[in-house]
Parts: sequence; C-alpha cells; structure tokens
Amino acid sequence: MKIDLSQFLQTYLLESAEHIASMETGLLQLRSAPDDVELLNSIFRSAHTIKGGAGSFAMTSLVRFTHSLENLLDRLRSSQMQATSEVIDLLLRSVDVLRELVQAEADAPMPQAALELVERIEALQPAEPAEDESCTDDAPEPVQDDREMKLYSVEFCPDRELLSSGTNPIVLLRNLAALGTVSCCHLHSEELPALADLNPEKCYLSWTVELASRCSDSELREVFEFVEHLAEIRIHSAEPLQKSEDAAPQAPASAVVKSLPSKTGPAAAPVHRKTTVKKADTSGESGSIRVAIDKVDRLIDLVGELVIAHVMTAQMVDDFEPSCLPKLREAVASMERNTRELHERVMGIRMLPVGTLFQRYSRTVYDIAQSTHKQIRLETNGEETEIDKGMLELLGDPLTHLIRNSADHGVESPEVRLAAGKPAEGVISLKAFHRSGRIVIEISDDGAGINTERVRLKAIERGLIGPDSQLDNEQIRMLIFEPGFSTKEEVSDLSGRGVGMDVVKRNVQQLNGTVTLESEEGRGSTVSIELPLTLAILEGLLVRVSDRTLVLPLLSVIETVPLRKEQIVRVAERGEAIVIREETVPLLRLSRFLGLPQETAGATGAENGNRQLAVIVESGRRKVGLVVDELLGQQQVVVKSLERHLHKVDGLMGATILGDGCVAPIVDVTGIGAMDLFSLQGKVKTS
Amino acid sequence: MRKVMIVDDSVSMRQMVGFTLRKGGYEVVEAQHGQEALSKLQGCTVDLIVTDLNMPVMDGITLIQNVRKLPAMKSKPILMLTTEGLASKKEQGKAAGATGWLVKPFDPAKLLQTIAKVLP
Repeated sequence: MKIDLSQFLQTYLLESAEHIASMETGLLQLRSAPDDVELLNSIFRSAHTIKGGAGSFAMTSLVRFTHSLENLLDRLRSSQMQATSEVIDLLLRSVDVLRELVQAEADAPMPQAALELVERIEALQPAEPAEDESCTDDAPEPVQDDREMKLYSVEFCPDRELLSSGTNPIVLLRNLAALGTVSCCHLHSEELPALADLNPEKCYLSWTVELASRCSDSELREVFEFVEHLAEIRIHSAEPLQKSEDAAPQAPASAVVKSLPSKTGPAAAPVHRKTTVKKADTSGESGSIRVAIDKVDRLIDLVGELVIAHVMTAQMVDDFEPSCLPKLREAVASMERNTRELHERVMGIRMLPVGTLFQRYSRTVYDIAQSTHKQIRLETNGEETEIDKGMLELLGDPLTHLIRNSADHGVESPEVRLAAGKPAEGVISLKAFHRSGRIVIEISDDGAGINTERVRLKAIERGLIGPDSQLDNEQIRMLIFEPGFSTKEEVSDLSGRGVGMDVVKRNVQQLNGTVTLESEEGRGSTVSIELPLTLAILEGLLVRVSDRTLVLPLLSVIETVPLRKEQIVRVAERGEAIVIREETVPLLRLSRFLGLPQETAGATGAENGNRQLAVIVESGRRKVGLVVDELLGQQQVVVKSLERHLHKVDGLMGATILGDGCVAPIVDVTGIGAMDLFSLQGKVKTS
Repeated sequence: MRKVMIVDDSVSMRQMVGFTLRKGGYEVVEAQHGQEALSKLQGCTVDLIVTDLNMPVMDGITLIQNVRKLPAMKSKPILMLTTEGLASKKEQGKAAGATGWLVKPFDPAKLLQTIAKVLP
C-alpha cells in the first residue's frame, strides 16, 4: 500500500512556525530564569517535534540541524550544562536558522550559517555517543535472492514478566511461523506451578520451534526484537537442506520472504516535498484559521434556533390574522437577536488574540538592545485582547517599525539614562485593550521623548510647513507622520530605513484606524493605534443627502447639530466652517463633495440652510462637520468593498445593501479627515 | 474494526499517523498528551496505543505506566513513537511496560508492519 503523506506538509509547516515562535519566546524568558526546567522541557519539545516531522518530509538539513539542537537542549534540561547567556544567544540564532530551514526546499543543501552554528553547538558538548540507533540499526545487510533453505531450531524462553509488556507470546510464535514452515513446536511447561500458586499475569511457559526457512539468523531474531530484554532467544541452524526434493515447504516459504517487512529491503522512502506544494506555503498562514470546536458548536446551535424561528414566522405569515401581530413581532425580534448573535460569532471566528503578534517583539527588542548596548525590557499587557486576523497581519509591520523606533531612538544608553536620573534599564511597553468599542494598541517608552524644536526645524527644512507657521507642540509632533518627513540624519541599521512613520500611519488608516502620538521631552513617548473591532461590519448612521442614502460610521459621530445660517462662517475664499461652543469646525457639504444634485426641490438658499444638519465626526483628533439633509436612523451594516467593481472613490470606504435592497455608500470619515478640507470645498466632483 | 489510539502533541504527526492507520483499516482515537489519553481510556478500551514520549502535561513514559494499571489495558500492546534512538529513553519505556517502538522519521509502511507484528 502506498501512503502519500505530502498532504500533511502544510499542517507541519504551520505547526513548525508555531513551535519556532514559542521556542523564541521561551529562550527570551530563559534569560531571566536559566534553571527553569519546565521552560527548557518545552523548548526541547518544540525542537523535538520539528525534527520528528522533518524526517517524514525528507528535509535532511532540518533534521541534521534540529538533531544537534535537540542534543544541546537535552543537556541543558538534564542540567549537564548551564544555560549561559552565550548559549542562549547561540540558541536564538539557531531559531533564525530554523525559520529559514523550514521554508527551504527539502533537498536544499545546508546554508553556511547553519553549518557554522551546528559546529558551534557541537563544540559545546562532548562527542555524541555512538548508541544512536538510527545510525547503527539501519545498516543494510546484503540482499540474497536465492538463499538456501535452512533448518532452524529456535528456543524461546520468556521471563516471567513477559506479559507485563503487553506482549502476546502466541503472536511472536505466529510471526516466527510466517517466516518458514514449522515442522515441530515443543511446549515446555515444566515450570508451570500448581493451579493454586499460579499467577495468571506471569508467563511460565517456553517453546522450541523447529522450522525450515530461507531467512537468516538475524531475520528470525528480529521477530523477537521487542522482547530481547524479556526473553532468552537461542537460534541453532542445521546444514542447508537439499534444494531439490524438499519442495513442499519451499514454495510458501519463499512467498513469505518476499513480502517480509525486513530491514534489508529498500526502506520506504520518505515523502518528497513537491515544489508546487511549497510555493503555496508563504501565503499559507493567511489562508487558514484554526477554530475552537466550541465556537463552531455555538454557531450550529444558533443556526438551529434561526431555522426554528424562521419556520414559526413563515407559518404565522401563512395563516395570518391580525391577532397574530404581537406574536409575529416577537418572532421577528427573536430572529433579529439570533441573527445579531450569529453575526458576532461568525466574526469571532476571525478573531485572534494579539498575544500571537506581541510575542515576536521580545526578539526585536532583544536584538536592538544587543547591537546598541542598551538595556531594554519589553513589557506586554492585554495579550488576550482579540483582533481580526486580517488586521493582525497588517499590523505586524507598523508595530515592528514603532517598536524599533522606540528601542533605537527613544530609549537612551544606560549612561545617559543614569545621568538623567532614570534607571539604566529602559522599558518599552506594548498594551492592547478595548476602549468604547474599538481596540487600542499602545506602544510607549520611557526614553528621551520627541524634541519638538528639532521636528519643527526639520519640517521647515523639508518644506512641510512655512517658517512662520503657528503650530502647537502636538501638531508639530504629528508632522513626523507626514510623507516626506525623512529622518535621514538618524538613519541607522535598525529603524531608519524602509517604512517611515508615514507608512505606519497609512497602514493603520487602511485598517480604518487612527494613530496618535503623545510625547514629553525627557520622559518618553506613547503612540496609540485605535482600530475598529472588525473591518466587515460596522454600526452605521443612515443619513439622506440630496436623494441618496449614505452611511456614516456611528463610532466616529460625535453629535448632530441643526445648521443655522448664523453659525456658518466663511473662511476667506477657502470654504465654510461652523462654530460650535466657540470651536471652529470645517464643514463639508457631502452633496457637493460627492457630486450629487445640489439641492432638493423646494429647499433652497437660506431656507435650506435652516433645515440641513451638520453631523460632527471625529477623525484622529480632527473634527469635521458633514452637511446632510436628514437623519434616517441607525443600523448595523455589512461593509462591501467598492474596489472590486469600481475604482477607489475618495471619501467612500465601501458600500452596503440596505433592507430595501438599495445600495448605500459608506462615507470614509478617516479619509475625509486626512484631506485638506478647505481646498476641497470648492471642487465639484463630476464622476 | 480494531481500534488504535495515537497520542502525540504534534498535530501533523497525529494527522499522519491517523491517516496511515485508517488506510490500514483501523479505527483511530486521538489524544494530545498522556492526560487526555488516560481520560479517553476511562470510557473505552483500544486494541493498541501508539504514543510519543515527549509531550506536555503528561509524557509518554508516565502514560505507559498508568495504562498498565488499567485492568482492561494491562496486556494490550503499546508502541513508543519517538525520534529518540538513544537507548536510555527506550529502556525507560521498556521498563514502564511498552511493547515495542518505532523510531521517527515516521514511516507509514513501517508503522503498519510493526502494528501487525504485535497485534494478536
């Protein structure tokens, strides 16, 4: 039977990635607890599991590498060696190599870095004892095709304890008989005690089997491979039989030999990885989700309830009488409850704890601290906070950048810190929590903070602001998120390259989130990323603009005020604003912005101004008043992407389908907040 | 149909062994570690156990010792499935009451042959 295991490669790769990540976390914890045996055991188990599977997929380099790693870890966990910081560093490097090897093609040669590490690991420990079975056991014996039939006498004298190993001696005799033709089997029952003294769990019997076989001594002995420690086996062979006339046993014996599970045959080849399978792997992680069974069970329950509610409703509609109305309402309400819960739970399937993301940053911080000779500790908080899997993946890079920034530019060297009266060790803290229906991720450090004067000068130099611009400190700090604000002078290997802060901001905005920055010179900085719980469903405020229904994300709505003419101020040639409680908020007329018919019939000029409403929304720290004609209500809407069907439309983040089947665009408040409103107001969209 | 229990903390290994066993005509019961295996054995017996040795919560050696205390499982074969060719681990397993062993890398044909070798 051919059994193809390549279909399990994907699982193996996913599992290995998890093990590698947990090894890394474990090693970083090991620095503060080098004697923690449980920790060492779990790191060892990870290496062990990776190695175990690697062999099945013929990933030879990986097997060799994990093998030496496993030996080292075994010595650590059995306290034959100390987990010094040198050893831990070596192991951390090994984790990087493991990552590479897991991704590599099965038959790729071992990379140089890996070879060097293996050498260093092996140099740390005494030469491996030669008792490793995988090396000695599999030495192939010469294969003989036309072997002679021999007569054997096999004595099998088990210990009393044979049965305690779950071995059935009859099975052994059966296996032996299958290797040839048994001419005689003697049972030795001399040691059998009187019935009263007999312990049924002990073996008192022994056997001598005489058989004719073409197998060698060692092949016969192999039958007893598992009981060598529990039995005495003596095999005597007589002269080869005459080939000719003893044909009777010959035929069956040879037949058996051929199908024999002997080690001499070609060892079943391990599965070879296919290149095509491999290619899919890099994206494999995003392609699958593991879901706890109880989550799925609850979904099935809910669907069940929904089906029942539907049947009830349908029946009531069929036999409708006015008196049924309250009952019908009740049934519809229950359906709505179920639907809503179903929504939430289905979305819950996509939710993963942010801890899976956080754990990788211990390593980032460790590496930077090592290379910059700083002392930095990463504290994490709220790892159990769940976040949409898609968002989690998109957050990886921005967070890496922010953490590198904190470690590289924020936290000072121990000398500077001590001189400033701070502890030598800097702390970067990574927190996740919920705040009013959104998820907040905070990256803060107790480092030097942002020098606003330097930022201001740089912004002027880059032409981002005029030399006489009046900006408060917060506005100045936000300039570092502007595209074109390069910090070239501070370029370092660690954080000055690649994505800049503007990319961080853009990535977060793509997720419909906002970034804010707080900083105090000398005390440190905090960057907060605020994200919606999920990208797919949002609580919407339905509004009418001209003859269209639009949806505003309710979470960004602060208040709605009637638009009175006397409140509107004109900002010289640039647009309108509304003054609310002495705060000037720029106005955006959605109808004009989206190119809808300007006014509805009968409502013009001042009259119209009195009837319209301004919905004040907040995007980041900015407020904008969106002018609408009417508020229609609020409901949950499912966000559908527009880009599959249309180009990206500025100011719209998607669309949804309303209860009456109409398509309603969803206004992109974050996007609008990022625009230069006053210059937009004059512009009329034609598309 | 004969029932075989596979105990391993690695999902991929459980999948591969399980797949092989089903192909070989066995019914399969899975457990992630010794503790789970023992609790599953409270409700049912199996004809054979294939277990990894290195597992969290309860390792394979402890599992074997405990299985041998269950009256229904006292004389059922147990195979150790492990990467460790090192004699010491194997000796511990033997002392605990294992019937036989399989050295990883996992080889489907070898698994089925070894099972046939110890199952009555």
